[in-house]
Amino acid sequence: MNIITAYSTQDNIENVVKDIKQQMGDFDAKMVIFFASSKFDPQNIATQMQNMFTTASVFGSTTAGEIISGKMLKNSVVAMAFNSNIIGDVKVEVIENLTDKGVEGVEIAYTAFEKYFGHSMQALDVDKYVGMVLFDGLSGAEERILDRMGDLTDVRFVGGSAGDDLKFEKTYVYANGNAYQNAAILVLLKPSINFGLIKTQSFCQLSQKLVATKVNEENRTVLEFNHKPAAKAYAEAIGTSLEEASNHFMHNPIGLMIDDEPYVRSPMQIKDEHVIFYCNVLEGAELALLEATDIIADTKQAIKDKEKEMGSISAIINFHCILRTLELEQKGLMQEYGQIFADIPTVGFSTYGEAYIGHINQTATMLVFE
Amino acid sequence: MPGKIKKMIDTIIQQRSRGSSIIANTIKVKLILKGINPDVFTSQSDDNPLIIKRVEKIGRDFGVNVNRHSGGY
Repeated sequence: MNIITAYSTQDNIENVVKDIKQQMGDFDAKMVIFFASSKFDPQNIATQMQNMFTTASVFGSTTAGEIISGKMLKNSVVAMAFNSNIIGDVKVEVIENLTDKGVEGVEIAYTAFEKYFGHSMQALDVDKYVGMVLFDGLSGAEERILDRMGDLTDVRFVGGSAGDDLKFEKTYVYANGNAYQNAAILVLLKPSINFGLIKTQSFCQLSQKLVATKVNEENRTVLEFNHKPAAKAYAEAIGTSLEEASNHFMHNPIGLMIDDEPYVRSPMQIKDEHVIFYCNVLEGAELALLEATDIIADTKQAIKDKEKEMGSISAIINFHCILRTLELEQKGLMQEYGQIFADIPTVGFSTYGEAYIGHINQTATMLVFE
Repeated sequence: MPGKIKKMIDTIIQQRSRGSSIIANTIKVKLILKGINPDVFTSQSDDNPLIIKRVEKIGRDFGVNVNRHSGGY
């Protein structure tokens, strides 16, 4: 066995650790990724998980719900461990002080990767290397960091922003036995086997267009769409009243369309007729109004397509938007979604934003191994 | 002279992708996320100095000399 998953719904960290240890046995892990409910003391869980795998690279984050093969959980800890037959090499870097020095931090982290792997980040073979990134989900720094990361390398990074069970107070990322706030974890992997990425969202494009004509990019706020107050223009596009507009947010977000595929921008709230989003909308961007489709059917299809392309899938790391989780919950489809991953070792969590080239919403991004 | 922006964008994509269609597609997505849609610009597009300035900055960020293309300036 080269990949092993474990989870625990025990109440205290000591029992969680005991539980996971029992399931993992004496597995010789090279890399361990874990996601923990925010109910667990962050520093304690980070230390205990690293102590369990002293020779492995151990990293993860807090969540707004956890995913493990076949199950969508809450208040739990989920983990996936890989041995060296799967992970040829791995290096974990932490960028601290994200809000002030995030961009410099990317350059420092990349220098460390270059030193470790012996190649420049620009020259790395994208078929041999892949990255993961985890953010403090309340830092608001994702766009800047991902933008700089993409400037300096063609290696693809997927990941998500840490959650805190919808409290929106404190989120943490974990690495090397520590818990960090206002930080990002960058992981550069050289898998020993074939790998792939999945980006799936469940929306179709409607004909209505919204051009962001006035934007406060720093606050992820659109002041005007189509030269009208943003909330009014959004309500008009939906065909509803200003008062009812926010009730449509989940079902009708907007998307930056690239080759007919949406990069979803989800509205969060209306304030003074402005619309605040969960990620940045650039001034001048033309966006399409979207309409929700079937998450279960679309996710099954995305995995089936990837399986066909790769031949087989032996493991999935799923960064799954909390808004998708909330929709599944509302529709009573949590179990059905979990079941999609019943036959493939899977670990993941409900995120406060997803990473796939840029920062996106209402999407699942996945790293899959052959 | 119209079309300068398209040439600059093509240079960025060519230099960064080094012939890989996967990387070329990724660079296109990155450009759009930065607010520059390559599909909008043609050889007839006006040389808008504000956009030229933005594309030059993107080129610098990408480590690409946008004026080093076959057309030359």
